[in-house]
Amino acid sequence: MRDRLLILSVFVVASCGLAYELIAGALASYLLGDSVLQFSSIIGCYLFAMGVGSHLSQYVKDERVLDTFIEIELLVALLGGLSASSLFAVFAWSGESFRLTLYALVFLTGAMVGMEIPLVMRALNQRQQRFAELVSRVLTFDYLGALAVSLLFPIVLAPRLGLARSALLFGLSNVAVALWTCRVFRGELLRPTLQYLRSLLVLLVLGGGFIAADELTHWNEKAIYGDDVIHAETTPYQRLVLTRWKGDLRLYINGNLQFSSRDEHRYHEALVHPVLAKLPWARRVLILGGGDGLAAREVLKYPNVREVTLVDLDPAMTGLFARSAPLVALNGGALRNPRLRVVNDDAARWLERNGDVFDAIIVDFPDPSSFALGKLYSVPLYRLLSRHLADNGLAVVQSTSPYHAPRSYWSINATLRAAGLATTPYHAYVPSFGEWGFIIAAHRPGYTPPQAYRVPLTFLDREATRQMFFFPPDMRPWRVAPNQLNDQRLVHYFEQDWSQVIR
Amino acid sequence: MQRRDFLRAAAALAGLPLLSGCRQLLGWGLPIEVLRPGMADGHRLRDSAALPPPRSERRVDTVIVGSGVAGLFAGWRLAREGYRDFVLLNGPEPDGNAAAGAFDGWRYPTGAHYLPLPSPESGHVRELLAEMGVIEAGGDSLRPTFDERVLVHAPDERLWRDGQWQDGLLPRGLGADDDAQQRRFLLHVKQLQQQHGADGRRVFTVPTALASTDPAWRALDGQSFAAWLAAHGYTAPGLLWYLDYCCRDDYGSTLAHTSAWAGLHYFAARGGQAANAADGAVLTWPDGLNPLLRHMRVRIGAERQLPGAAWRIQMQGRQVQVDYVDAGGAQRLLARRVIVATPLHVAWHLLPQLAGLGFSRAHLPPRAPWLVGNVLLDRFPKEPATSPLAWDNVVYGSASLGYVVATHQLIRAALPERTVFTTYHALAADDPATARQWLAGASADELFGQAMQDLYTVYGARLRRQLLAARLTVRAHAMASPQPGFLANAGLAALRAADGPILFAHADLSGLSLFEEAAWWGDVAARRVLG
Repeated sequence: MRDRLLILSVFVVASCGLAYELIAGALASYLLGDSVLQFSSIIGCYLFAMGVGSHLSQYVKDERVLDTFIEIELLVALLGGLSASSLFAVFAWSGESFRLTLYALVFLTGAMVGMEIPLVMRALNQRQQRFAELVSRVLTFDYLGALAVSLLFPIVLAPRLGLARSALLFGLSNVAVALWTCRVFRGELLRPTLQYLRSLLVLLVLGGGFIAADELTHWNEKAIYGDDVIHAETTPYQRLVLTRWKGDLRLYINGNLQFSSRDEHRYHEALVHPVLAKLPWARRVLILGGGDGLAAREVLKYPNVREVTLVDLDPAMTGLFARSAPLVALNGGALRNPRLRVVNDDAARWLERNGDVFDAIIVDFPDPSSFALGKLYSVPLYRLLSRHLADNGLAVVQSTSPYHAPRSYWSINATLRAAGLATTPYHAYVPSFGEWGFIIAAHRPGYTPPQAYRVPLTFLDREATRQMFFFPPDMRPWRVAPNQLNDQRLVHYFEQDWSQVIR
Repeated sequence: MQRRDFLRAAAALAGLPLLSGCRQLLGWGLPIEVLRPGMADGHRLRDSAALPPPRSERRVDTVIVGSGVAGLFAGWRLAREGYRDFVLLNGPEPDGNAAAGAFDGWRYPTGAHYLPLPSPESGHVRELLAEMGVIEAGGDSLRPTFDERVLVHAPDERLWRDGQWQDGLLPRGLGADDDAQQRRFLLHVKQLQQQHGADGRRVFTVPTALASTDPAWRALDGQSFAAWLAAHGYTAPGLLWYLDYCCRDDYGSTLAHTSAWAGLHYFAARGGQAANAADGAVLTWPDGLNPLLRHMRVRIGAERQLPGAAWRIQMQGRQVQVDYVDAGGAQRLLARRVIVATPLHVAWHLLPQLAGLGFSRAHLPPRAPWLVGNVLLDRFPKEPATSPLAWDNVVYGSASLGYVVATHQLIRAALPERTVFTTYHALAADDPATARQWLAGASADELFGQAMQDLYTVYGARLRRQLLAARLTVRAHAMASPQPGFLANAGLAALRAADGPILFAHADLSGLSLFEEAAWWGDVAARRVLG
């Protein structure tokens, strides 16, 4: 009976051993990318360490075999169980030492796991098992355990529990084996009580960790963002992090603030209504970018709008803002509105390939902070845009800040004009961003700001609108060149502008 | 034994058939495809196998033999002028040096990848660009407005030196003397841009046919560019490397084997300007110059383009008989006039009577071999924040010519999910025959190693893990190299003047391989046909 238990523990121990390897591999590919490299190098390091462990096992004295086995189990439980959580923490708090910690941890865990099977075999051998039978049984269960985990981990554990909790769960299994061995082999241990106490202590630590795993992950991201992180996700395109602090919901993309729920209404009302209020006949509206659905929320206030097409690259972004309860509350369920169609495609590519014409086009692209993004503020793109704009339609472009980044702002204005569009610049104060700028573009000049709005608004009224279109002396137009793709002056302007602003 | 063979053998021995499936996972054994356009047909023609009697005979007013830039330009001109009674034989190398390919829709060039802004002398090229809409306005002015999508986007060039990138291709920071010589040289060629000969023509122009024939300036052709530079006190290593790079890039030859006239021509003949781009800007497409050729093919009409490779061109009474081979066997065309738009080393084997036109074997221009590599990447490699990926990326001191990014001109809200890098290597170090021997005998791995040289220098061997596929294009007779004395080639002069039933059109007639030159001779031949 006792021997059977020992053999069964081989199954558990083997499962845990493989699990730590998979967790480390998955975590490294998740955080560092290049999964083939990560998995290969981690499996290599782990197997090598197991060899080292097996080698070291010969130095364990015969009378200490069971005691050492329990101690090893507890060490594996701690190292492996806390591996994912601690690696996340190292990554969040000090990125540089991540690789070193990763491989050190993998090596130590591997070495400990490498000692387990030789020790069990010696324990069984001491009980006069026939050698052939012994080897066969131990290895059979060793491989069976590996099979079980290799299926369980990707299908059930990783998606359901996440990496941190999966690791803790396997750590708890190691503790269970240790406790079990303590109990069954009580008489044969040198210091049974001490081993018992140690096992309980590790059980407590891991159990606590299991309960607090979510907290731990949040705490790590809070270290980065300052507020409570309520959602974090790495998509193939970007890292989305949503934070909340006393009712203020904020979205960060790749660490850059996209909106704060405190004042996003200012930004989105200013972006949408000066255009839509002037187009009571508008039926078809195009939104480029704006996967948060906040601009769409404003557009959908107009009953005359029959069809909104929202083009945003990242399905994870539009999916999140269509499902998450606090976000749906924020965008009024805009992304689930039957009048709205979400297209997950690159907005520029979509403009190239699609031939539809719209009465209003809302352009909410990221700032021109790189050569790649600068191309979105170019004559060819604006010409493409104007081909999608109805003859009497209006487009509006998010255009950086006329106060903090005047060269960029007026260069975008010049670029729109170079593309043959008539422009009307305006601006609004958004506390999170500062003074922010927009430009209305049309096929013909003659745009005048609306005098009144037919839909309920919080920020804009007649007077606020008048002020938006007024540029005080410290925001007068700058004479700057349009953005030509050949030299991308806008990107240089943008760099120049923001290097002079301390934020 | 090659690495891949070794791995295969090891896999077989170990009884691990799975291993061969994992090779790619381990970064080994990337699918490498080697293309040798025109090689099989060309060598069969050279070895002069007999041709069976033709199965069909067709009469047509004009036949254009070859579908590179010169042939297509001739066809484009004929079609544009409303002339319809002609056919164009595609030949074994459709699109010639302006050919392109694609990995799953990601297009790339397998030859030439850019066109400098056309100078006012290159009216023929401007005409084509205007028809395509690439020139939007001011085609006749000094500075036309170009479609920005085609003007190379910033950042256009960068140079890798001592483990980091510099903007532009002229190496900086190599000492005050180097800097001073670089400035002096640029000033020198700027003066030469405006230099006129005794006949009142500019000394250096594209096309070269319009350049001054003043013997005082033509004398430059008597010496090598290296000798000219030494004689003018240009000795700085940074400057000399850059000039050598330019000669290899445009002519496939080193400073020592390039005519001084041609070397200076590279810098002094261009000078096209744009209303909406800086001087020195270039035009480029994801698949190099191929869109220009596609446009010309549309104008010519698919019905006039015949597949098949010419085999023999000879006079038959007052007509020209063109025998060619296509999938159906041997065929014959009888024409009033034929425009031979093949490279001259091919024309030499096609036309038994070439010697009668005053052209001998010794007049064949030396040809530089090239290796063009295209690799599909599963994502963009990491670049330092301060120097983003440029269109053209060159390694200082390398014998290769760096790499060009095929997706550079795309306008996208996010980085494209994949990209293609095109590496260029002119085998200029050895004499062309030795280099061709190496190309013919090299394994796919060896060619790949050569094509990847600069990419590995910049990104390290780890880049291999990002590669999904590689396609290598071997162009063993890629282009005519303008060696000293090339301007005095009497054989070329005879073919340029030929205005009988058989006309010639190819960049070889100029002795240097530029789109504008090829197009010029295509234009000249077409105008002779039109009368």
